[in-house]
Amino acid sequence: MIYLLAGNPNVGKSTFFNFMTQSHVHVGNYSGVTVEKRVHHVKHYEGANLVDLPGTYNVSPASEDEGVVTYSLLNESYNGIVNIIDSTHLRRNLHLTIQLLELGVPSLLVFNLKDALRNNGYVIDIEKIKDSLRVNAISISARERHHDDQTQIASEMQNLRITKALELDYHHTIKWGIQRIHDLLRYDVIQVKKKWLALQILEGNEGIFKFLNLVKEDKIREVIKEVEDRIIEEKVAFSLKGAIFNTRREFIDKIVRESLIKVEEKEHSKYFNQKIDRIITHPKFGIPIFFVIMLAIYQVSFGKFLGVGSFLTNYFDIFWNDYLVLYLGEALEFLGLTGFMYGLLIDGVMGGVGGILVFLPQIVVLFFMLAILEGTGYMARVAIVMDRFLSKFGFNGKSIVPIITGFGCSVPAIMATRTIADKKERILTILTIPFVSCSARLPIYGLFVSLFFTEYRAIIILGIYILGIIVTLLSAKLLNLSYFKGAGSKFLLEVPPYRVPQLRTITYQALEKAKRFVKKAGTFILVDSFKFYSFLVI
Amino acid sequence: MNITDLKRDETARIVSLGKIDQIFNKRLMDLGIYESATVVMLNKLSSNRLYVIEVDDIEICLRKEDAELIEVRK
Repeated sequence: MIYLLAGNPNVGKSTFFNFMTQSHVHVGNYSGVTVEKRVHHVKHYEGANLVDLPGTYNVSPASEDEGVVTYSLLNESYNGIVNIIDSTHLRRNLHLTIQLLELGVPSLLVFNLKDALRNNGYVIDIEKIKDSLRVNAISISARERHHDDQTQIASEMQNLRITKALELDYHHTIKWGIQRIHDLLRYDVIQVKKKWLALQILEGNEGIFKFLNLVKEDKIREVIKEVEDRIIEEKVAFSLKGAIFNTRREFIDKIVRESLIKVEEKEHSKYFNQKIDRIITHPKFGIPIFFVIMLAIYQVSFGKFLGVGSFLTNYFDIFWNDYLVLYLGEALEFLGLTGFMYGLLIDGVMGGVGGILVFLPQIVVLFFMLAILEGTGYMARVAIVMDRFLSKFGFNGKSIVPIITGFGCSVPAIMATRTIADKKERILTILTIPFVSCSARLPIYGLFVSLFFTEYRAIIILGIYILGIIVTLLSAKLLNLSYFKGAGSKFLLEVPPYRVPQLRTITYQALEKAKRFVKKAGTFILVDSFKFYSFLVI
Repeated sequence: MNITDLKRDETARIVSLGKIDQIFNKRLMDLGIYESATVVMLNKLSSNRLYVIEVDDIEICLRKEDAELIEVRK
């Protein structure tokens, strides 16, 4: 059995996925962290797999990421959909839900962030939702990881209702358009309901034309144009998409009015958020605050004062050279291995790999603190702070997240650029990210700095990093003046509420990145130390 | 008047998104900004260059040049 997990960005989808499958994917408090599709076994449900789709507001693709959702719905085989919903932002989240229910596939609605909603003074009447949408539904807090929730979700998934596709009362012109397109689709073999496909086509889902070779594509496009013109002419809405959107919004309004129940009067925390935002994103102090935070992070990771990273590295160094290498050497001597083999293993491999591994504690500390920043929601504020500055170089404020990720590793950084909606800005960010110093370069910097300098090491390392940033910015500017000349850019960011990050997720995130680093750097270094030592001796 | 004319914490109703191009309009809609929606000006940041607005409990940050295209009525 295969289930697709769909939901808006930043609603705790990855947390839910980890919770239900007991395996981790990268989790962050920033829209669009999940950029790859992942499949894992569902807990308490033998033989069921959950496919983690990228977060999307809409079935129809606005960015590459969201195209994955349309593609999966059209082309993959699945038995049901698990739709995760942020209970604190019902109105927006339900737009996707409506589109999925219109598809008529057995679905489970998971209303996440139950605790956050309760803190705002509200609860959701799940029975009401089940009744009015005729669908399985449950309300949970994925981050609290209640075992009961897990078993209940698994059992709901095993007993999904076979639902009739949800039909909203769209404007008669739209209904007419759906019928026309439905008729034109009769030559095509499609696994989803053609009515749904027709509505998606009217909504402007270009992914459908991209993923399916529709026989009557030209005719269908003519119908879209005609419906659009009539909608505007009849003053139903300013656009066809707007007309469809409005019908859904009215339906959602009704659902929310019926099922969102106020249980307590609460002062909304947003006023507190606003105050902090005003300080953190201050036009004068915002950037300095960001730099102070980054400097503090580098100081703790690489510096001497407050240097947790260096402290750990010291001990790791002692463990590696004074114990591991020593005893291994003795063991080899005991076995009678001397000469070339001894040198290869002790001086070559242990020396070479050790030279990199001693930096591991510092890197873990760095990753750990970056994960905290991401988890709190501060990164979104950094995007706001940096927008003005970065837009001068043709970047978008959102580019800051890939750039910061680039300090860890360029590969996930380039994948993270998918959240930048504007194609030009996305390509620009992708092209320039490799100039940002990734963590694999850190050992080299560390080696240089420890060879040539005795003081101010943290500041010098930070300096090398800043140099990387300057090169990144200048090359972006250069590209912006030449190849990407003239295109205007947009900045549109959903500001997440501040959240206290979970130690569990952060630790996992840091260790996972460190593991990847060891794997990648380790294998290269291992092979190179072999070669290097062999050349040296022969 | 457009959205940037609102003072902090003022509420208004969006009357037109007609000046905005289609692609950006779609992105606004995805985030829940639509004609007839009630909008609250939460914050003006970066020397009034960026605006944080709230529509249906969703907080969105946009640039001045885009915010100016959103027409509102108090």
